[in-house]
Amino acid sequence: MNLTQPTADKRGTTLINHWQCGVPVTHGPVLTPFILLLAGLAAIGLGLSVLRLFSPLGPFSAMNDVYAWGIWKTINVMTLTSLGSGPLALGMAAWVFNRQKLHVVMRSALVSGFLFYATGLIALGFDVGRPWNFYSAAMPWRWNSKSAMLEISICMPLYCAVFLSFEILPLILERVYYTGNVRSRALLCRVAPMIRKVYPFIITGAYVIPLMHQSSLGGLLLLAGTKINPLWQSPVMPLLYLIAAVFCGLGFTIFLLMIVCLRYARNLDAAVLAELANLLAGVCFAFLAVRIGDLIWRHQLRAAFAFDRMSFLFLFESAMILTPALALCFRRIRETPRALLNMSAVACLGGMLYRFIPTSIAYVPLRSTAYFPSAPELVMAAGYIAMGSLAFVFAVNYFAVLPGEAGTWDHTFRPFGWTAKPAHPSIALPVPSKVGQERAI
Amino acid sequence: MSVALSRRQAFKVMIGLGGTAAGVIMPPTTRAAISAMPHTEEHPAHPVAPPDAVAMLFDSTVCTGCKACMPACNEANGLPTDTSLSGGIWDMPMGLNAKTKNIIELYQDPQSDEFAFVKKQCMHCLDPACVTGCPFGSLVKRDLGAVTWDSSLCIGCRYCEVACPFEVPQFQWENRNPKIVKCEFCYDQRLKENMQPACTAACPTGAVIFGKRTDLLAEAKDRIAKTPEKYFENRVYGEHEAGGTQVLYLSSVSFQKLGLPKLGATSIGHYATKITSVLYKWLAGPALVAGVFGFFIRRNWERHEAERREHEEKTGFPDQL
Repeated sequence: MNLTQPTADKRGTTLINHWQCGVPVTHGPVLTPFILLLAGLAAIGLGLSVLRLFSPLGPFSAMNDVYAWGIWKTINVMTLTSLGSGPLALGMAAWVFNRQKLHVVMRSALVSGFLFYATGLIALGFDVGRPWNFYSAAMPWRWNSKSAMLEISICMPLYCAVFLSFEILPLILERVYYTGNVRSRALLCRVAPMIRKVYPFIITGAYVIPLMHQSSLGGLLLLAGTKINPLWQSPVMPLLYLIAAVFCGLGFTIFLLMIVCLRYARNLDAAVLAELANLLAGVCFAFLAVRIGDLIWRHQLRAAFAFDRMSFLFLFESAMILTPALALCFRRIRETPRALLNMSAVACLGGMLYRFIPTSIAYVPLRSTAYFPSAPELVMAAGYIAMGSLAFVFAVNYFAVLPGEAGTWDHTFRPFGWTAKPAHPSIALPVPSKVGQERAI
Repeated sequence: MSVALSRRQAFKVMIGLGGTAAGVIMPPTTRAAISAMPHTEEHPAHPVAPPDAVAMLFDSTVCTGCKACMPACNEANGLPTDTSLSGGIWDMPMGLNAKTKNIIELYQDPQSDEFAFVKKQCMHCLDPACVTGCPFGSLVKRDLGAVTWDSSLCIGCRYCEVACPFEVPQFQWENRNPKIVKCEFCYDQRLKENMQPACTAACPTGAVIFGKRTDLLAEAKDRIAKTPEKYFENRVYGEHEAGGTQVLYLSSVSFQKLGLPKLGATSIGHYATKITSVLYKWLAGPALVAGVFGFFIRRNWERHEAERREHEEKTGFPDQL
């Protein structure tokens, strides 16, 4: 690895290779109005969750027996965990398909994925009516092995609590290593080889398990049968949900990296982003190929172009996925930050639409009742998203999450004014770059 | 990035891929043998009713809409009256809800004077979608074919409400300890004690009758044969719908007008699990994927570790994982 010279801030104008390792944000304002707004929303969301502990679902939400699944399931779990599939998509590309460039952005994907899953699962905990019976998850003889819901209710918490947590463990241990005392450091030196020993096995599980539950999210809807419009209801829904999760994970990782790097005046990396964009375009095309092939196979192509409400919805959704797929084929667009940001956002929105529509707009049961989330439901859902965003901002500040130049990596690592003795006094620390140290808090 | 495989690694890959291919391209003889095996499938496309399966036959042309079955049901199940519409006077539910397991609904054509009553309750499907979806087996199909709910296993995910094509299971939204409310064929209260369900026992006109499913199906077909003009499409609703149900309907008007959905003859549970039940058999699919992934991850991991050690030696600092 050769260090590149830190360059002047040319945000959004040039893309040069800059990402070599995870580097925490050690400068820049933290308590901005936006962050305070997020904190406020998260606090209200938490307050409402406490209220939900004492309130039945009926007065709290607008859910009814016809639309038994509200916004927490359809947005926080169905839709947002597709954005949180970055660890799956990037991890598979990096570790299974050996795209080595992507190792450097794994941490951003991991932290965002963990937060999407964690907040979604907490929301799900408040959504279910009888959570005290969930202990059955630990009793395999009670499992109904044919149920997609079982797969999800066991795999998702397992993935988040064990696999994703294990994968982000190095970030936390690393911080302890650089800020802790000699004893903790000695302990970590013993722990680190153990982690490395089991790491390949854990990440194998960490890719197999989301493959299972992300496809099961689509498999869940198979049982709804004719209640879901035939443009969406299809036996390949599990596969499509999985592919949508993969390209949403890729697209969101691009989007997140660019937004956060621009926010914290981090340089971008052309090679890594182009690699991600390439993958994103490819997976979008794969999704569309399966989607169209499925419609032809089920003789639904005529309904898709009937230009009624559902047809327009389908066309809009497909256009949102086709546009970035086509655009990102052009090198000029891939390497223009603004276009890449927009296209990845459009791809994410397209994938989110595909994951959201079958449980909401295209979910047309026999009995005619309407569902629109009540205010507490909406605010709680938004509160959990805010909570995740807030946690990400703090993670970026506390841990080495965002990719950066190796030259800006400060091995004494004392963000937020933490004071500790330098880690290796005997070893000369790399000279901190001027860019990163101007406004240290 | 292409890296040359060693001969041993290449063999391993070939074995892995070969296993996958063998799983996908099963010889037709094996496949035929598997499909010929009797009763191996948990969710067959067209389930066959067990010989002891009981049923209800509701004949809409006989029902006078007296609603005697509704208080009988409430009494047998200990349900409160739903008086929200009637101002606290009568039991007046708008449909199946958390206080109503059984209801008589009126269909009336706005133009003509065509009308019909329909009785709604759980259809007790031969292969119920709610049972297929229920994660911890709270909803089960018991002997005689009754579909019952167990409060000690239910987590309140409401997947049964999404899965049921007849929109039968209802959730107690107003309860802190919410339960799923659905007709259970009076299984615990009456069926176990060799009594017929409260609704069929209460019906004064014989619009809804109780019996063995085979007998009632024969009876329904008999009625159709006797008066061929009378019944809609000359068929029994529930004989084949969603793989067959244990509540059978006869009607002079279209079943869809009565609020019974138009469903295919294939069991919904079969549709939903036919692919996954193969992939997840003994967890073979996930294990196979884990094996293939594990091979490549291990290879890439070792390469990555070599690079790391080299880098750590150069800088003197531990490398990031």
